[in-house]
Amino acid sequence: MRKLAALLALLAVLGMATAQTQVRWFVGLGAGTDEPLFVAQRAIVDEFNASQSDVRLVLEIVDNNQAYDVLATQIAAGNAPDIVGPMGIRGGAAFPGVWLDLEPLVESTGYDLSDFDPEMVEFYRTDDGLIGLPFAVFPSYLSYNKALFDEAGLAYPPAAYGEPYVDANGVEHVWDVDKMTELALMLTVDGSGADATEPDFDINNVVQWGFGIMWRDIRGRLSLFGAGNFIDDDGNATMPDHWRTGLSWYQDAMWQQGFYPNGPYGNSALLGDGNWFDSGNLAMAQTQLWYAGCCMFSVAGKNDFDFAAMPSYEGQVTATVNADTFSITRASRNPEAAFAALSFLLSPEVAGRLNALYGGMPARLSLQDAYFDAFEERNFPGRNLNWEVVAAGLSYPDVPNHEAGLPAFREAEDRYNAFTQRLDNEPDFDLATEIDRLVAELQLIFDAARARN
Amino acid sequence: MAFLDEIQRARREKGPREKLGRMARWEARWGYAFIALWMVGFSLWYLIPMAASLVFSLFDFELTNLSAARFVGLGNWRRLLFEDPLVWQSLRVTFTFALISLPVGMVSAFFLAVLLNSKQLIAANVFRTLFYAPAMVPAVAGVLIWSGVLDPTTGWINRLIAFVFQVDAVGPNGIRWLADPVLVYVAYTLIGLWGIGNAILYNLASLQGVPTELYEAADIDGASWWRKLTAITVPMVSPVIFYNLVLGVIGLLQFFVTPYVLTGGSGFPQGQTYYYMIHFFKQAFGFLNMGYGATIAWFMFLIALGITVLLFGTAKYWVYYAAERR
Amino acid sequence: MAAAPVTRPSAAPVAVPAPAPQRGEGMMARNAVMRAAITSLVLVILLLYLMPLGYSIATSLKSKEQASDVNAPILPSAPERFEFEGRTYDVYRVPTDEGEQRWALVTPGRNSSMFVDPDDPGAGLFEWEGRWRTLTPAYRLAFQWNNYQRAYEFIDFLRLLGYTLMYAGITTVAATTSAAIVAYGFARFKFPFRNVLFIVLISTIILPPQVTLVPTYAFFFQLGWVGTWLPLIVPQFFSNAYNVFLLRQYFMTIPTAMEEAARIDGAGPIRTFVSVILPQAVPALIAVSLFHFFFAWNDFFGPLIYLAGNADINPLAVGLFRFNGLYSSEPQLIQAASILTMIIPLLVFFFAQRFFMQGIVLTGDK
Repeated sequence: MRKLAALLALLAVLGMATAQTQVRWFVGLGAGTDEPLFVAQRAIVDEFNASQSDVRLVLEIVDNNQAYDVLATQIAAGNAPDIVGPMGIRGGAAFPGVWLDLEPLVESTGYDLSDFDPEMVEFYRTDDGLIGLPFAVFPSYLSYNKALFDEAGLAYPPAAYGEPYVDANGVEHVWDVDKMTELALMLTVDGSGADATEPDFDINNVVQWGFGIMWRDIRGRLSLFGAGNFIDDDGNATMPDHWRTGLSWYQDAMWQQGFYPNGPYGNSALLGDGNWFDSGNLAMAQTQLWYAGCCMFSVAGKNDFDFAAMPSYEGQVTATVNADTFSITRASRNPEAAFAALSFLLSPEVAGRLNALYGGMPARLSLQDAYFDAFEERNFPGRNLNWEVVAAGLSYPDVPNHEAGLPAFREAEDRYNAFTQRLDNEPDFDLATEIDRLVAELQLIFDAARARN
Repeated sequence: MAFLDEIQRARREKGPREKLGRMARWEARWGYAFIALWMVGFSLWYLIPMAASLVFSLFDFELTNLSAARFVGLGNWRRLLFEDPLVWQSLRVTFTFALISLPVGMVSAFFLAVLLNSKQLIAANVFRTLFYAPAMVPAVAGVLIWSGVLDPTTGWINRLIAFVFQVDAVGPNGIRWLADPVLVYVAYTLIGLWGIGNAILYNLASLQGVPTELYEAADIDGASWWRKLTAITVPMVSPVIFYNLVLGVIGLLQFFVTPYVLTGGSGFPQGQTYYYMIHFFKQAFGFLNMGYGATIAWFMFLIALGITVLLFGTAKYWVYYAAERR
Repeated sequence: MAAAPVTRPSAAPVAVPAPAPQRGEGMMARNAVMRAAITSLVLVILLLYLMPLGYSIATSLKSKEQASDVNAPILPSAPERFEFEGRTYDVYRVPTDEGEQRWALVTPGRNSSMFVDPDDPGAGLFEWEGRWRTLTPAYRLAFQWNNYQRAYEFIDFLRLLGYTLMYAGITTVAATTSAAIVAYGFARFKFPFRNVLFIVLISTIILPPQVTLVPTYAFFFQLGWVGTWLPLIVPQFFSNAYNVFLLRQYFMTIPTAMEEAARIDGAGPIRTFVSVILPQAVPALIAVSLFHFFFAWNDFFGPLIYLAGNADINPLAVGLFRFNGLYSSEPQLIQAASILTMIIPLLVFFFAQRFFMQGIVLTGDK
């Protein structure tokens, strides 16, 4: 009992200590939820709290998979965080109407927007006003494991867009999805060392895979075949034709040819419990720049790797782009204090460090030049990686973006994720029938959402 | 189990009404004073919310914006009964799982109790403690441990199976306990076995209460072990079985932690773990459809009520009550 | 359970007495065999039953590499490495004509690879014909105790523990005290509708709490309590049906003689309750407290929704769930964190199991 009383007293004291204006910073809808980043983010919060005494910034990191539920609950409970960021396009789309128009705060504080890429600022000017300040873009590119290419005796993929693939014999080939598939087959190996082109290859005992895209939903994966969305101009549910082709390609890749990790392999220890490229058992991965900031330290310690151009499909390259913003919620009790903290986080000095941390290309023009050098220095010193091809990916963005909004976004997303889950886990998934069903059920969800508004 | 007996008993007896004397009034006042706390609590946390929940089910609203609440009449109920395929899918999932997991759990608890009650067992108390211990493991921790041990590649279950039966069970294409649409029920049942500690002890307490004369008489008859089990033991512990059954069904309607921790409520694989409670949670607290959430909850209550009435109705045919205790 | 004549037709028929069983040496030997057999059977079942715990402990002591290496041994070990000319290489078990060799793989190739012998690095690289992927990596025993330290720090164990203890502590005291008061009312006083009210009380035990959840949540939301511990703590002060039931059963077994004596001495019902009933009910009060303590420790759904994602004040159960999301590719840390959260309930259980088991028997007792 005495201990209990002491504990209560302690809690009371802690309660007093929070008399400052508290600003909660929610990390979960974009970069920043991977373990190697936690300590550094906390350090930045501590720095802000030490720099002044009016506002106390509190950091809250939630795993991306749980973040949507958690944030929804917080908003429903009137317990919304003040700052949300970095937040991807998907995050903003999932919570329409939640974000504060920053324009008045920008004006009243005289905040200088001129250093931000004007296109990106415009991107966040919506019908609800300026719903976020641009923070970073994450182009995508092909990460490849040099050690695995060496072992197979294959030449590396092209280092720049527009270049052909030059094979080990010096012959040039068009760098497209078909060529990449060929390489991927030769880079897929079973437990007895046979690759996927050999007749005795055992698809049930694969230990190394040719190609994969991690942690991206089906819209992102299908953008390899060109951008698209599940909704047409009239607001009806649809499955674009090039995506139908893409879906068969993925089904084949996972279940017939075996070079793309299917669900069972993808969640197994062989592929790092989901972090495929980092396991060292995946030869090529389409990755966004944030991946280099969070998640490839173990492969970096083991193997040599580099970055290359994405392959084209029917003559066109699509390199998916993620963009992260920092926003303030409408429900914030102290928008001014939140904006002060936001200004600190996005100030050239701190934003530069956050960019280096998350791996995002800075939205601030003044930070862009020095960015990749600093990023490499921090994460992969002395590697001389091909950052040009990474930046060049921005010239091939997916429009519409693979994270673009949908009506009743979270329900629609739940629905198509269930579809993907089955595609990835069922060898005899009836694709044609299930596509029709998916479109029909999305239509129901869209209709219901329209009826509600 | 005993509180269920109380309900049974109350159904049979009606107390005499009498006019209260002075002493009795004093006693009644004190009685009410002592139970006042509960009566307030009951009104606050049960009576009013139950009624409110029914009212809520007629509205479409969000908590943060109550002024925008919209009266939808029976719209939520129509959606629940006719337009939401996930309601029926989740009920099918819930009851399929109940049909597998309840019998397995109850039979395991019963036989473990019989073994632990055996006079031939050395160090019975140590065993009892150790068999109970997993029930003390916090549910989330238990689920995470099981998800590891059931991992097709690195888990011990597949390794053990491969070792004992000399089959190829290990690896991403081995036995996929949590990803196979049928096996997943077996896996969840196994996870549930860590929660049968209470059931074992109830069975044990009940077994120890079976009069030894019954067995002695049966021994004299030369009855087999099986005959004694089915003719004496099972009937004598049937109240416990009844209790475990009622609480088991009600508990499974609320089954949440295991699927939520393992899948985040995605229903993986193939919607086979999309339990009723997951649907409730998603609608009410994920998509913030509070009115529809209240409807789903009320429907759960109706189902629970129906099952309870049904079970109590059948009880008199198979539950043995020691000769009306008064 | 009351001993009563068996009246049901399915019960054991009592018929002609059979010959008395034989006694003697053979019987004793048979008994010993039976004891050994039953005890081993129970032991085997127990080992299977506790196997996941063994897995968890073993995994919690592995390195990340081992935890996700398919070929790794079951016990915590580290891969054998060999440093050669400034770089580190993995050692494999290579079958040769002279038996199995432990060689380090320097340059892997599809059908032949270059190795070096750690025992004789001076001999330099040599080629081995065969597919290196068919080889087993070499391991030696090693325990990563610092996984526990990392899990402890990353999950912010002390803070979560503090809130969990606070919740379990306050609600245990509140729930037990309020239940004892209400139970006394039901156990010792006659009043109109007592039976009906008691039936209502115990019916709430089997009521699915979700049916009241949305309005209750809305109520607490209006009070501004969502996002704090209050919605989880306050209702416990109004007694909980299960606890009331248990304590009432126990109170009814206490003889009334002392209460009557106290009353003759002029003690009112409150004093009687405090000074006569409570001291005699200590074992039951402890049992109920333990039940509640474990319930509170385990509570997941309540904190999940009422703390509204307020990670600062999470209890261990919710914290562990979040930890699992954030560290999903570090199975060894997840197992270590799981073990950390169960230590206190297990310790309490082992030390207080006498009261605990008595409490269970009380539940089962009629």
